[in-house]
Amino acid sequence: MSSNSIKIFAGSSHVELTKLVAKQIGIDLSKVVVLKYSNQETSVTIGESVRDEDVFIIQSGCGEINDNLMELLIMINACKTASARRITAVIPCFPYARQDKKDKSRAPISAKLVANMITVAGANHVITIDLHASQIQGFFNVPVDNLFCEPSMLKYIKTHVPEWKNGVIVSPDAGGAKRATSIADHLNLDFALIHKERKKANEVSRMVLVGDVNRKVAIVVDDMADTCGTLALAAKTLKERGATKVYAIVAHGILSGKAIDVINGSDLEKLVVTNSIPHEDKKAICSKLDTIDISPTLAEAIRRTHNGESVSFLFSHAPE
Amino acid sequence: MRNIVIFGGSSHPALAEQIASRLNVNLGCAKLSKFSNKETNVEIHESVREKDVYIIQSGCGHVNDNLMELLIMISACKIASAARVTAVIPCFPYARQPDAPYKKNGAPLSRIPRNAFIGYTFDTPGCLDSTPTTPSNEVKDPFGAAFARFEEQGSDMSSSRMSTGYKHWIARSGTLIANIITCAGADHIMTMDLHDPQFQGFFDIPVDNLYGQPLMIKYIKENIPNYQRAVIVSPDAGGAKRATAIADKLRMDFALIHKERRSQNQPNKTDMMLVGEVKDKICILIDDIADTSCTITRAAKILGENGAKKIYAIITHGIMSGDAIQRIAASVIDQVIVSDSVPQDEHLLHCTKLKVFDVAPIFAEAIRRIHNGESVSALFDIMDLI
Repeated sequence: MSSNSIKIFAGSSHVELTKLVAKQIGIDLSKVVVLKYSNQETSVTIGESVRDEDVFIIQSGCGEINDNLMELLIMINACKTASARRITAVIPCFPYARQDKKDKSRAPISAKLVANMITVAGANHVITIDLHASQIQGFFNVPVDNLFCEPSMLKYIKTHVPEWKNGVIVSPDAGGAKRATSIADHLNLDFALIHKERKKANEVSRMVLVGDVNRKVAIVVDDMADTCGTLALAAKTLKERGATKVYAIVAHGILSGKAIDVINGSDLEKLVVTNSIPHEDKKAICSKLDTIDISPTLAEAIRRTHNGESVSFLFSHAPE
Repeated sequence: MRNIVIFGGSSHPALAEQIASRLNVNLGCAKLSKFSNKETNVEIHESVREKDVYIIQSGCGHVNDNLMELLIMISACKIASAARVTAVIPCFPYARQPDAPYKKNGAPLSRIPRNAFIGYTFDTPGCLDSTPTTPSNEVKDPFGAAFARFEEQGSDMSSSRMSTGYKHWIARSGTLIANIITCAGADHIMTMDLHDPQFQGFFDIPVDNLYGQPLMIKYIKENIPNYQRAVIVSPDAGGAKRATAIADKLRMDFALIHKERRSQNQPNKTDMMLVGEVKDKICILIDDIADTSCTITRAAKILGENGAKKIYAIITHGIMSGDAIQRIAASVIDQVIVSDSVPQDEHLLHCTKLKVFDVAPIFAEAIRRIHNGESVSALFDIMDLI
């Protein structure tokens, strides 16, 4: 009876992505009902047997982050107690990834807490995309596959940015320099860096550009676009320095707060994000937004994980 | 008191304030907020190194947000070298474990309807329908509601996938909650009137489960005239033990309401049965949680039909979710007395039948005793607290 087949469960944060992934793999979503009781507690009912099966639960850290996180934990735990053979938490956008260090006295390392909670709930394996800091992998005692958007981004630049050969890759902060230089190397393009001075969280006071962008197409690469203040300021700085167009390519488009207004009013030509976080509603009110579909990478990672094949191929290739 | 720091979570700052002032210490300074992407942000602004830390957070309102905030606070204190972190959780979240799905009328569903899982449903937090749902075997429950919705969506689903009759698996989050609180770094848990006393066993760390009973007894003695001639009523069989304990202590009569499924022809039809004499008497309903308050309003109706003169309801945790307040207002209950383990200010504005008793004294005393290494068991049956 036991087939050890793939079961994919959708968390409520991003059902669309899960459907795409399931379609790529060629299976149906497994049945689950997630409800909230009137006292705001989360209730999960698994609608089919997972005994001795290979369970993948896809839940992104977005929207009501705490609700979605609790839901993920409860789903993992429910599958665990229902005797699943292996449970893999697929978390395209890892929540609390930016609270990853004790940068002030008594600051919480919430990313570590989340890692512990996911492990304690019973996950045997974690798949995520472009962790804000890859060291978060070390917070887990279970294997973590940190996939990269880079191959998908490269593909997008080559196919969707017509002037890319006259481009220059820009990192909006020093922390992202490595990510940006890697893309610049792959495309054989120049590289520039914006150094920002931060006085408060989510607020940038001054920007210094290092490198030449004059009469070039600037392609800003980052891992996260949250309130988009940095991106808008970067775009302004780049335009002032003579960039003809400014594209921004970002792995996780959280786009919280006034992000959409900021983008609409900015000098950005386009903001490209992956669908690790749902943003269909935002696309409707922001024509500058474009999407990279990341589901093939996730689907392939799930397939390879299930079959015990190497995942490292995906670090440099974007599957169709 | 030396070396003690008390923090209040954002769920119930008033209670934390009261507890701190009873202990004659200032509340610890912490900034609790949310980032624009809705991640919880905790900043602890005073040193907790080698201190005895108490974090007061109730499981109410946005339960998941509050739970996450509590976990982050515990973790922050722990990695800031606190000597001991005690989570004070007056109303414990996820304390009720659904054991089986029930239909609207309370009958258990042995298997899932064929077309129940057409795909995926989710009630977004913002748009809860008016049907209140609770995890206990109340009249209404999420599955009743969900299934009703599925049934409405037409039975033309020719899917035979569910015909194997898999008995679906409801998550029981009790152990999970216990484990994540422990893994966040809590050394000690303090709570009140846990729905299941077994819940204590889910933790590998000490759990002090305080009782609201002494406070209830005090309230009855002081505020209900001629209470000796009143009857203590348990609204369901599960709460009988709790109610009889109070009846014994006060030497009062006891009655019980229970659900009966006798009729063979209509196995789903339930009758409410009253056991005990309530005619022309004052009735005092005792329960631990009033969530949608279906249980107590239904019980009150039976008591009214059986000639009760006046109906009080004394409840530890007045969560009052959904349209509980309207339901109480429309019921025959004369007065509902709840503790402030959950903030009641909002409820008090909308319901004149509501009265509140303080739990701060009992928590303050328990914290004092735990901090000083004294026995807490004295709190379990003190009659004349403060």
